[in-house]
Amino acid sequence: MRGISRRTLLATGGIALAGAASGCGTPVATSFTGAQPATADVIFWHLFGGGDGANMGTMVDSYRSSSGRSVEPTLLSWGNPYYTKLALSASSGRPPDVAVAHLSRLPLLARAGLLEPVADQFTEAGITQDRFTPAAWEKATVDETPYAVPLDTHPFVMFYNVELAEKAGLLGSDGRLKPLTGRDDFVAAVSAMKEAGGEEYGAVCTITADPSTNWRLFTMAYSGLAGPLVTDLGTKVTLDRDAAGETFEFLQSLTGSERLMPSTATATTSSTLFSQGRVGFLFDGVWQIPTYRGVEGLDFDVAPFPPLLGSDPVAYADSHALVVPRSEGRSSARTADAVGFIKGLLDQSLTWADGGHVPAWLPVQESEDFRSLDPQSGYIEAAFNAVYDPPGWYTGAGSDFQTAMGSVIASVLSGGTDPSSGVSDVADSLKTFSTARSPV
Amino acid sequence: MSTAAVTPTATVHPPRRRGSADRNDASSTAFNRLAATCVTLFALIWLIPFAWAFITSLRANDDIAANPTAFWSGGFSFAAYTSAWESSPLGSWYVNSFIISTLAVIFTVLICSMVAFALVHLDFRGKAAVFAVILAGLMLPTEALILPQFMEFRALGLLGTYWAIVLPGVALPVAVFVFHSFIKGIPVALVEAARIDGASWWRIYSQIVMPLCRPAISAVAILTFITSWNAFLWPLLVLTQTKSQTIPVGLSSLVGGAAIQYAETMASAVLGILPLLAVFLLLQRQIAQGVANTGIK
Amino acid sequence: MTTGAVALPARKVDETSRSATPEDRGPRGHTKVGWLFAAPFLTLYVLFLIGPVLIGAVISLFNTTTVTPGLGTWVGLSNYADVLSSGDFWASMWHSVLFTLLTTPLLLLLPLLFAILASRMARGQWFYRLAFFAPFVVPSAAVCLIFAFMYTPETGLISNVFGWVGLTPPDFFGSTSGAWFAVTLLTLWWTFGFNFILYTAAIQEISEEVYEAAAIDGAGPWQQIRSITIPLLRPTMSLVLILQVLASLKVFDQIYILLAGGPNYSTRPVIQYIFDTGFTSYRGGYAAAATLVYFVILVTVSVLWLLIRRRTAGPQSA
Repeated sequence: MRGISRRTLLATGGIALAGAASGCGTPVATSFTGAQPATADVIFWHLFGGGDGANMGTMVDSYRSSSGRSVEPTLLSWGNPYYTKLALSASSGRPPDVAVAHLSRLPLLARAGLLEPVADQFTEAGITQDRFTPAAWEKATVDETPYAVPLDTHPFVMFYNVELAEKAGLLGSDGRLKPLTGRDDFVAAVSAMKEAGGEEYGAVCTITADPSTNWRLFTMAYSGLAGPLVTDLGTKVTLDRDAAGETFEFLQSLTGSERLMPSTATATTSSTLFSQGRVGFLFDGVWQIPTYRGVEGLDFDVAPFPPLLGSDPVAYADSHALVVPRSEGRSSARTADAVGFIKGLLDQSLTWADGGHVPAWLPVQESEDFRSLDPQSGYIEAAFNAVYDPPGWYTGAGSDFQTAMGSVIASVLSGGTDPSSGVSDVADSLKTFSTARSPV
Repeated sequence: MSTAAVTPTATVHPPRRRGSADRNDASSTAFNRLAATCVTLFALIWLIPFAWAFITSLRANDDIAANPTAFWSGGFSFAAYTSAWESSPLGSWYVNSFIISTLAVIFTVLICSMVAFALVHLDFRGKAAVFAVILAGLMLPTEALILPQFMEFRALGLLGTYWAIVLPGVALPVAVFVFHSFIKGIPVALVEAARIDGASWWRIYSQIVMPLCRPAISAVAILTFITSWNAFLWPLLVLTQTKSQTIPVGLSSLVGGAAIQYAETMASAVLGILPLLAVFLLLQRQIAQGVANTGIK
Repeated sequence: MTTGAVALPARKVDETSRSATPEDRGPRGHTKVGWLFAAPFLTLYVLFLIGPVLIGAVISLFNTTTVTPGLGTWVGLSNYADVLSSGDFWASMWHSVLFTLLTTPLLLLLPLLFAILASRMARGQWFYRLAFFAPFVVPSAAVCLIFAFMYTPETGLISNVFGWVGLTPPDFFGSTSGAWFAVTLLTLWWTFGFNFILYTAAIQEISEEVYEAAAIDGAGPWQQIRSITIPLLRPTMSLVLILQVLASLKVFDQIYILLAGGPNYSTRPVIQYIFDTGFTSYRGGYAAAATLVYFVILVTVSVLWLLIRRRTAGPQSA
């Protein structure tokens, strides 16, 4: 048992050693003192894996070498865990210098006072309202103050099989999908695709076990007829029951009476049907472009949705944005580096656009280089017609709200619930969310 | 009651061998053989996850994908360990875990043994109340209190520091009782003699009582070390900077990550297991005894 | 796992009463030095064990935002009303109870069986201790990494084992029943050793003579186990039971890391509910109310167990 004292000694020695070996800004030292860690000039958190992650890596590397600043990027798990961690770090006073956030999740972060407003230093660096897609900038603004620098807009769009579209006579002289003018035109196009393909369906959308996709499809159609489902940061229900009923009837007709889309489709079903050319249309987000680009023998293109219900085209979208989490202890030099880094990423929006996103940074979006990118250049207008999640403290990408809504919508699309009960279910669910006391 | 108090003598029972009591009749032998087979088989099954993680960490990813359940496919390498080490700041996580666990051990042993010493040897007003309060503490489910605890530490400005992890766990009622029952087993005469010699209470505590408490110190130290090394939820909330995280929190961010990097993920898991497993292999008996002592009282 | 910290109040009560009566050893009047020795512990105890309970009680009456300073607006008891009428809260409460029901019987009886069998072995004790207890020192995240890999469809070992015996593996991550299976098996592997050690230690306390006498009377091994070992292990079983129940009701790590409470929150335990509402939605006041409701439930379980044990133990020890 003499070992104990020896071990204690060793342990104490270990701490002394760790203390001695570390300077002031090292994680060990700051974890003792509570000071702001300074392991790099810019500490950056994001949630991009796969192709987006690789593109972000390229952008960070090139910023590093061009600016001479050190950047420490960290990839965190997507969705709630990411936003929880971001909030915890900001509230403990030791947040990253720059973080990625979905604009749909911005209201809660901003209202809780966790973000620095996009103010003077940004303006000095040339980050100004007039150089961004208006819809994205507007969404980045909470209570009249901009809190985020939009990086992109990633809308929900129509992927189409070029061969089938040609066969169905849907292509214009430029080799791209002829603009569709409205609901009937859209239904006719999907029917034509079905015939051209000679298979069971003309289009596919992931309905099973993917609430967010259901929510995107529904919101897009519904927004042609009515305003947001909730207002006042989510505390007031402004559901238009007639519009919701009409939306459900329309969507259910696609999977039901018209038999144009499978009523149950997992993500695997969707990608199989579209990759093998068994359906002409796939309804999904532009971030899937890299996935299908890799499919051999598939010639596809992407177009924004036409106006489905109502007269104006609407694109359901979200945006990735860059935010500077608030920190009392951040020096103005570090803030300057953070702003410089954000500007550096904006300037490389072309690399980012490779992932299917439409750059929100107009200098790149309007550049010749981007305009010549296919298929990205085909749906730029979607970024301007973007409709986001209704602003609320519980809405946004990966939120419980999307999951709850999406489950009801999926049940209608798969024929398990009739449109009018679907509307009641949506209303019930909205009531639960809107009556919970808002924390901000 | 048969669960007697833990006394210094009770902790040093040599393990007895049940089998020796049986006569060598056939049924006993057969039973023992059967039991041996069963329990050994079960123990081997229990080792599979370790073996599986280790073997996977040595294989190549495409080979794993092609023959997922082949235990042996030739061509082992440690490459996955290199890339695991490079892709996450495992080194920082080790250092953080080590510092936190060590601080927790030092403070817990010191503070809990001091109050236990006072409860045994010092007659002070309010002692009964102190005892009752600590006793009640055994029933406080502190893990449930993360939310108010978080608010408290934010108000104190200690979030993001080691102190936020170490301090809440240090006042550990169960450790007080381990020390209490142990110190009670030390002959009072020793303390009285020292008093007569004019020794101060601090001297009696630090020079006479504590050195005799080594088994209790060892039990409390080992369990505190393991508990704080493996703590997950509270460090997840408090240490958010990537390089200030502990091993468990850091590792948890790899679950469900890059699904195809089998070898690298398993290498990270093995690296995460290694330090405590090494401690465990060295101190197997003491650890088991420590668990038994704090459990059975 | 923090099972060790729960420990068992039962016998302690006798000590309280004993310590309460003044003992006539040594001069009296060490009040100052006594409090000095107790001060560091009591300070931290009051600050970090009692403190959070009080803070929780206060903020549960306000609409506090977790991530910003300040209490927010006074809302009275309405947070409690909201918690008690929330389907999600009770669902998560049920998941914690269900987890307890799934794991406790296994972790009460299997380690008992194997501790008894292993204790009959003349050799190899170290090996059993190693095999069964080593998982207990593994961090939850590492356990989850390994099991997540073994549960992977197609490539995972456990998925393949199902195939070898001609069964279709359940969907460990996508279906509720599969998820519970995954969590239960993982927990069994991980915490089995703790109870195994408790039982082994208790078995070693049983006097050799009892067995010798029984053997002379012609009792076979099975009878010895049934009529000697198991009855003498009753108090240990009772201890393991309460440790297990209290620890299981506090489950978080493995369900959160492996499944994030999914699929679709169908396995989310109550601590994760508090985590989600309190830290993901910043609803501090509400989550504090949920914390206190849950806290009261846990303390009630402990106290009930204590009362039952005192009642049943009373006549025996008298």
